[in-house]
Amino acid sequence: MEQLRMSLRLKQEVMDTEACTRCGLCVGLCPYIKTMNERIAFIHDCSREDGNCYQVCPRTPTDWATLDQAVFGEARTDQVLGNYAQILYARSLDRGTGESGQYGGVVSALAAFMVESGESEAAVVTRGEESGPPTPVVARTREEILAASGSKYSASPTLSALNEGVRQGLNNLTVIGRPCQVLGLRKMQSLTGVSEHNLSARQVNFTIGLFCFWSLDTKVYSLFEQKTEGKAVRKIDIPQNFVVLTTDAGEVQIPVDEVREYIRPTCLRCFDPTAEFADVAVGSTEHDPQWNTLIVRTAKGKEVVERAVAEGRLEIKDYPAARLPLLLTAVNNKKQRVVDGMARGEAGYEYLILNSASFAAAGRED
Amino acid sequence: MPGKVLNIIVTGVGGQGNVLASQIIATAAVESGYQVSVGETFGASQRGGSVMSHVRVSQEKLGPLIPRGEADFILGFEPLETLRTFREYGSQKTQVIMNVRPNYPLGVLLNEDKYPDIPELTENIRANSERVWALAATDLAVSVGVPVGTNMVMTGAFVGTHILPIGLETYEAVLEGLFTGEILRLNLAAFQAGFKAVS
Amino acid sequence: MSFLSLLVNEPGRQVLMSGNEAITRGAIEAGLSYAASYPGSPTAEIVTNLGRLAKTHELYAEWSVNEKVAIEEAAGASFTGLRSLCVVKHNGLNVALDSLVSISIGGVKAGMVLVVGDDPAAHSSTNEEDSRLISKVAHLPILEPSTPEEAKQMTLAAYTLSERVQLPVTLRCVTRLSHGSGNVTLSLIQPANKKPVFKKEDRFVTHVAFHQAQEIKLAKIREAADTLPFNTYTGPEDAKTIIIASGPSSLYALEAVQALGLAGEVGVLKLGITWPLPEKFLLKHMKHAEKVIFIEEIEPFNEENVMALAAQHMTDIYPIQFFGQHSGHVAGPKGPGLGEMDPDIVKRSIARVMDTGVAEAEAAVATTNAVSAAGVPSAGIPEREMAFCAGCPHRASFWAMKSALALDGRNGVVLGDIGCYSLALRRTGWSLPQTMHAMGSGAGIANGLGKLDMFGFNQPVIAVVGDSTFFHATIPALINARYTSSNFMLVVLDNETTAMTGHQPHPGLNKNAMGEDVQGIAMEDVVRGLNIPVSIHDPYDVKGTVETVYKLLQSEGAKVLILRRVCALLAAKAETRPRVYVNQDQCIGDDCGCNRFCSTTFSCPATIWDPKKGKAVIDEVVCNRCQVCVSLCPQGAIKVEGGDQVAR
Repeated sequence: MEQLRMSLRLKQEVMDTEACTRCGLCVGLCPYIKTMNERIAFIHDCSREDGNCYQVCPRTPTDWATLDQAVFGEARTDQVLGNYAQILYARSLDRGTGESGQYGGVVSALAAFMVESGESEAAVVTRGEESGPPTPVVARTREEILAASGSKYSASPTLSALNEGVRQGLNNLTVIGRPCQVLGLRKMQSLTGVSEHNLSARQVNFTIGLFCFWSLDTKVYSLFEQKTEGKAVRKIDIPQNFVVLTTDAGEVQIPVDEVREYIRPTCLRCFDPTAEFADVAVGSTEHDPQWNTLIVRTAKGKEVVERAVAEGRLEIKDYPAARLPLLLTAVNNKKQRVVDGMARGEAGYEYLILNSASFAAAGRED
Repeated sequence: MPGKVLNIIVTGVGGQGNVLASQIIATAAVESGYQVSVGETFGASQRGGSVMSHVRVSQEKLGPLIPRGEADFILGFEPLETLRTFREYGSQKTQVIMNVRPNYPLGVLLNEDKYPDIPELTENIRANSERVWALAATDLAVSVGVPVGTNMVMTGAFVGTHILPIGLETYEAVLEGLFTGEILRLNLAAFQAGFKAVS
Repeated sequence: MSFLSLLVNEPGRQVLMSGNEAITRGAIEAGLSYAASYPGSPTAEIVTNLGRLAKTHELYAEWSVNEKVAIEEAAGASFTGLRSLCVVKHNGLNVALDSLVSISIGGVKAGMVLVVGDDPAAHSSTNEEDSRLISKVAHLPILEPSTPEEAKQMTLAAYTLSERVQLPVTLRCVTRLSHGSGNVTLSLIQPANKKPVFKKEDRFVTHVAFHQAQEIKLAKIREAADTLPFNTYTGPEDAKTIIIASGPSSLYALEAVQALGLAGEVGVLKLGITWPLPEKFLLKHMKHAEKVIFIEEIEPFNEENVMALAAQHMTDIYPIQFFGQHSGHVAGPKGPGLGEMDPDIVKRSIARVMDTGVAEAEAAVATTNAVSAAGVPSAGIPEREMAFCAGCPHRASFWAMKSALALDGRNGVVLGDIGCYSLALRRTGWSLPQTMHAMGSGAGIANGLGKLDMFGFNQPVIAVVGDSTFFHATIPALINARYTSSNFMLVVLDNETTAMTGHQPHPGLNKNAMGEDVQGIAMEDVVRGLNIPVSIHDPYDVKGTVETVYKLLQSEGAKVLILRRVCALLAAKAETRPRVYVNQDQCIGDDCGCNRFCSTTFSCPATIWDPKKGKAVIDEVVCNRCQVCVSLCPQGAIKVEGGDQVAR
């Protein structure tokens, strides 16, 4: 069978099937892929036989074991959480980041630390808007990073801003991204045998992955607008069973069940809720709103966290032993659903190349 | 003039000024007492398309189109268009002046078509026609300071062949009726450069 | 130069004129006072020139909003005793038809000539239509010039005829006549009545009672037709074969008869008036003929009318046989009635009819072509496709619409219309429009599509029109859209001129056909007046245009987006902009993911490929310096001289 062109395959296998995670990494690699309202589309068939767009996409075939080797230089040691050095509770000591950030403010604190220390020229972040979907931005200052703090629950194509920043000549960037975005970055970093031009991920020197169990379609913003009667939304949180929208006039609560219909189907096929290939991965504790869960994964991650702690930007403590099974169960259940779907031969899992080392079901149930 | 009728085709790409060239030749012929019939197409073909003017000079009333294979003279502003026109209207009796500067069609820009090799194209027409003048008309226009004067160089070159028994001064009078001042001076310079290049 | 020859007042002098210039000159010699038209190829140059002559020749010329209004105005001027002219192309006559049919019933007063340009082979039209059928419906006499000389004489004769029977007279031209040139003998410019008076006459109120009078007028012309000098017969008086032809086709027929060596046996009867027919003249020659061949463009109009005449007089002219489109003998390569005539098609058609020498004639035609083609390779001659000009704002507009529709992802529909932007149907507009019919019909079709949601139709709809088309035929569709709550977006590609036909002004501009300053009408005010939301954007800002189009696509109801940017050809003439060039150190050639976006996808004719360096380069002879490519090059390698992109 004749092999389809890469660009056409990306369109047919990923975009047309709604498998696209909206990571944004293909946006701006060329003049043909554009994004609007968190939708990514081919404007025109570029006719190229090859195509980095296909090769770096987190929803084209990815061999988990190969990527483990590429990122960690070793095989997987934890089949649920992926490879890591430490799992911690952490919170920001950086005044400002804690206030606007979600929970412990660790993400903003680390990003600001990277930029202020000069190790990164800028951070690629997702800035929330008063209404509608957030905006991918290249934050060059502490203020710009802080302006973008706080969780977003739709799938912003943040990495389009990375491509834009690199094109403008920026080097050594910190990226804050969802697990799918980190996956794309790592795929691009490990590409071989292609032209060096436009490989923006090679200019990334630190990745902060975000825990992510699903993201919502942008249609949810119409629901938010309706529920807040058009008021500006300052913050969004989903602490337990409610989506909490903070406006100047107070909080608006929406039962989580009301937003479930907006969950993007591709998120249900995601195998990586904890950003397994990031330098560090950050999430909520689901327990103590003053703290974040911080998984330190790579040597780079470890080194940055240690420095941030040493310089008084970050406070860390041991992950409570009693809480760990809860986290493992949640992650394991999500992975198990994916593995079950694959076993049933359902569509949408073609991208996952797993071997027994990548995942062996722990068999835990809710 | 070789026969009772002289069939001339001015061919090129929209925007090159070939319509003006055909009008100058035709006006000079009318002023010299000939019956002239000119057929041309403009309008949509301005937009980068092929443009061709048929100029028929004789003593009788003729239709505006030259029959296939019966062009006595082809004044080609662009190599590919010269070839295209020659194939349809040229013969062993046809004389050709061709500007050698190419203007690439869309298919060539899109990397789908290949523009013919110009020396090969020229030899091809030479072998199948009476005579070919391959002229760097655009360069010549630039050298006399009129980058947009290719059409004047080509018109001058046509006059320089003396295929029509009409004096240089008649054409110059037509130009003087068309332009004034500096523009007239520049156009005359380009016209004369073309005239000298051939005669 | 030809414009200047229009001014020469030396009777008897021969000058070179195009068919359009000859008609212009004829109208002036006839003492024309009032001309109205909507620009259309191939007849647009007539009112362009009349506008320039208005001051010196005491006449009024205008570009009307559309042909219906133009023809009504010309009739009005005629009612007051002024000689008038209305100029249209075949499609334009369709627009004016309702009024024309009514005007013809009661008739006109001073001479009114209707010049119709038909475009066989559709050189600059969507279709090839034989407007003679329309003139016949409207009971108008039709004159058909074959040369510019005849066009001028017929214009003069048309005024006389029009005044004699008080009907408008059609001067039917084809592209080869209108755009062709030839010797024209000048006559004196006649003094004319230029004092309009409107005097009440019953016949100016259309009523069926005048139908009878109208038929009597036609009968009068039928009588007069035989005496017109424009019907000629060339050939033996007892020829057994005659060719009946009109327009430039009659010249092809004369040449073909010579070329085939048939001058001794075949006669050519040229009809100068093709409706009503010069019956006696035709019958006289059909009496000696046994074979009649019809050569004409486009439909078998003469063929059918003459055959009807022959049927009526069959006992006098029998035996006789007819050859033409109906018999299949007279046909171009695409078949009877398709495409235009030329000397070769006519030669072959005649050869097909003649019993003897068919093979030789076919062979003779074949040989001439074979000789010319010998040795010259036919393969490898790339076609030259029509494309948007360098810097054309429409290219940017269509790229932006294409982008916004792809991002929208609901399989949006783009409806096209008539103008330069219809080139978007070709590759430089990425074949975006999916329909194209008549002027304004994109907005009409959008009206329909925009109300199909009750049947589950959810594709967004965009109708595109030009600025001139907006005024010409789109406003009623907008009114309808507002009234019926239709859901679509009208994009007006406003390049501030009527570009396709040669940059004529229109009601949105502050100039008229005579070059005077006038107060134009802002189309956004028209739209606001209908209470339809309107946005305006510069298509050269491609990114912003994509966002605007996308945003509007998400909104319900009828809305208008004006993409305003002057035609690149006018801009290039009007101002000197800084040079645009490729910084070849920055262009990374085929290493860029763009796959030569600038030259192959955006396909501006000014961005070409430098094969030696493997990088893009700007052809500065072609470039109109619009700078759009500067904003689209993914590497930012296209630069503007004197610094980065200049503010627009």
